[in-house]
Amino acid sequence: MAKWGMVIDLDKCTGCQACTTACAMENNRLPGENWQDVLFYTEGTYPNVSMKWFPRPCFHCENPSCVSVCPTRATYKDPEGGFVLIDWNKCIGCKYCQVACPYGVRFFTDEKAVVQPDIRDVFPAKDDRQWDPPYKGPQDDPSRGIGIQPHGVVSKCTFCYHKVSKAPEGVADLDEDIPELKEYVPGCVRVCAPKARFFGDLDNPESYVNKLIADKRGVRLKEETGNKPQVYYLSGGAAAAVPGLRSMKDKS
Amino acid sequence: MINTSKSNLVFVVAIIGLIVTAALVLFNLASQGHAAFNGSNLGLHWTFPIVVYDYFLLTSTGLAMIASLMLIFGGAHCQPLVRRCLWLAVAGLVGGVSVLALELGYPVRAIWAIPTSFAVTSPLWWKVMFVIAYVVVLLITVNLLRKPGEWPAAARTSAILLLLAALGVTGIAGVVYGSMTMRPFWSSGDVPVAFIFESLLGGLAFAIFFSYLAHGFSQERMSAPLRDVLTGMLPKVFALAIFVHLMFVGARALIGLYSNAEGLQVWQYLAGTSLFHIELWAGLVLPLLLMLSPGLRSNAGSQTLAALLVMISLFIARYDYIIGGQLVPMFKGAWAPELLSYAPSFTEWMLLLMAIFLANAIYVWGEKKFDLSWCKQA
Ligand code: SF4
Ligand code: SF4
Repeated sequence: MAKWGMVIDLDKCTGCQACTTACAMENNRLPGENWQDVLFYTEGTYPNVSMKWFPRPCFHCENPSCVSVCPTRATYKDPEGGFVLIDWNKCIGCKYCQVACPYGVRFFTDEKAVVQPDIRDVFPAKDDRQWDPPYKGPQDDPSRGIGIQPHGVVSKCTFCYHKVSKAPEGVADLDEDIPELKEYVPGCVRVCAPKARFFGDLDNPESYVNKLIADKRGVRLKEETGNKPQVYYLSGGAAAAVPGLRSMKDKS
Repeated sequence: MINTSKSNLVFVVAIIGLIVTAALVLFNLASQGHAAFNGSNLGLHWTFPIVVYDYFLLTSTGLAMIASLMLIFGGAHCQPLVRRCLWLAVAGLVGGVSVLALELGYPVRAIWAIPTSFAVTSPLWWKVMFVIAYVVVLLITVNLLRKPGEWPAAARTSAILLLLAALGVTGIAGVVYGSMTMRPFWSSGDVPVAFIFESLLGGLAFAIFFSYLAHGFSQERMSAPLRDVLTGMLPKVFALAIFVHLMFVGARALIGLYSNAEGLQVWQYLAGTSLFHIELWAGLVLPLLLMLSPGLRSNAGSQTLAALLVMISLFIARYDYIIGGQLVPMFKGAWAPELLSYAPSFTEWMLLLMAIFLANAIYVWGEKKFDLSWCKQA
C-alpha cells in the first residue's frame, strides 16, 4: 500500500498562499481556520530584518502523537495510505489531540470566529453542522473528517483523502502535469504556481518525492518529537526556510 | 455538633446559587456555543473549565486517599474524619465532572465512545477507566460506612481498593500532562508524583477546613476524638505535605527560570505575576510557618486560615500549570504573539461558581443525611 507524502521546496515557494486558498475552497474551510496555512516570520531588528514564510499542512506523521492520545480512536492512521484522519462520529471534542500535536495544525471551530463577520451566522446550517455555505464540495464523509464540520469536533487537513484515495493503484507520484492523474492531486499541490509542492508514495523507490528528499536533503520539522512527518521540506538557503525556533526573542 | 438551622441556610444558599449559575452557563452555552469560553485555536485549547475540573477531581481523589489511609492505618482515633472526607470526595467529584460535561464537545458520546474504544495508548483513556473504578469503589465505601457505628470488616478492603483507584486517577492525570514532550512546561517524569502530593495536600486542607466549618470554627463544639486529631497528628502531617509540595513548586520554578528550552520562557512570565507570588508566599510559605509554630499549630483560627490559604494556592497552581503550558503558541507565525494572553470569560467564571455551589449543596445534604460528625466517643 502507498504511504503518501509531500515535499515542499522552500526555494521555490513564493508565499503566494494559493495553496491556502485552494484548500479552503476544496474543503469548505471557515475563514481563518486554514487546514493549509502559510506562516510568516520576521526575525531580527532594523536594518537586519529578514522575513520568512513557511507553508504548513498537517504532516500526516508516521508516529502521530495526535493518534496515540485520542481516547476514542476518533483520530486514526489509515493503513491504506498513511493518512491521519478524524472520525467525526467518534470525536468527543476533548481537544487532547490539539494539545498533543507539536505543529499546531488542528482546529476546534466552535470557538469565536477568527474573521468577522462570523460566516456561520451568514450561512447558518439546519442540522448540527457548523454552517451551510452556498458552494459545498460534493465530497462528504464524516468518518474521515471530510465535508462540512459538525459542532463540537476537531478538524484538520486530510491530504485531500477524497481525491488521493481514488488514484489508480501503484502510481508513484501524483503530478498535476500528468493529465490522467491531475484529478487525484491534492488541492494545494495542484494549484502551486511555482511548482514548489510534490506529492507521491514514500514507500515507492521510483517516486520523484523520494528522489527529491534524497538528492536535496529533505528535512522534517521538529524531529525531536519523534512524530516523523510525512511532509519533507527542501531548503537551499533562499528566502524561505524551516524556522529553527518558535520564539524569535532572546530569553534575556 | 452540627447546627441544623445554619446548615439549612447553607443548603438553601447553595441551591439558589447553583440554579442561578447553571442557568447563566446553560443560557450562554446555548446561545454562543463554546465561543462562550475564551479558548482559541492559536493555542489555548484547555482553558478554565479544565482547570476547575482537574482541581475538583484531584481534590476529590486527595480526600479519598486521606480517608482510605485513615481507614487502613489510622485506627479508631481517625474515625471522626473518615466519613467527612469520603463525602467531601463525592461532592468534589460531582462538581468537577459536571464542569467537564459542559466543556466537552460531545459529553454523552464520551460515555460510550471512551470505554468501548480500548485506546490503550491514550493517557486520557486510562484516566477515564480509573475514574470509573474510582466512582464505583468510592460509592461502595461510602455505602459501607453509611450508618454511624463500628466499621464493617469489608471497609478495610474497600479502602485499599479506593486508595489504589485514587492514586491511579491522580497519577494518570499527571501523565496526561507530563507525557506531552512537545510542551516542555508540562512535560516531566515527576509530574504524576507531584500531582499525587498536591492532591494529598488538597485533601488535608479540605478535611481541616470543612471540619471547622461544620463546627462553627470552634474546637469546643467538636467531639473529643475529632479535637484530638486536629490538635495532634493532623497539623504535623499537614505541615509536612505543604513542605513537600513547596519543594516541587520551588524546584520547577527554579529550573524553569534557569533553562533556555523553548516553552519554558513561560516561567519568566509567571514569576512576574502577582498570582504566582500569592500562591507561593501567602498560600504555601505562610501556612507552613503557621503549622511549624507549636503555639499556632493546634489553634482553630490558624488551622482554618492555613487550610483556606492552601486551598486557594492549589487552585492558582492548577491554573498556572494548565494555562501556562499552552501560552507559547506552536508554529503560528509572526502574527501570533510570543506568549498568548488569556483570562477566563464570564461564562467560565460562572462554571467555577456553579461547581462550588453544586459541591456544597451535595456536601451539606450528606452532612444532614449521614451525620458526618458522628464518632464513637472515647
Ligand atoms: S501534524 Fe499534528 S495533526 Fe497532523 S498527523 Fe502530525 S501530530 Fe497529527
Ligand atoms: S478531540 Fe476528538 S479527535 Fe481529538 S483527541 Fe479528543 S476525541 Fe480524539
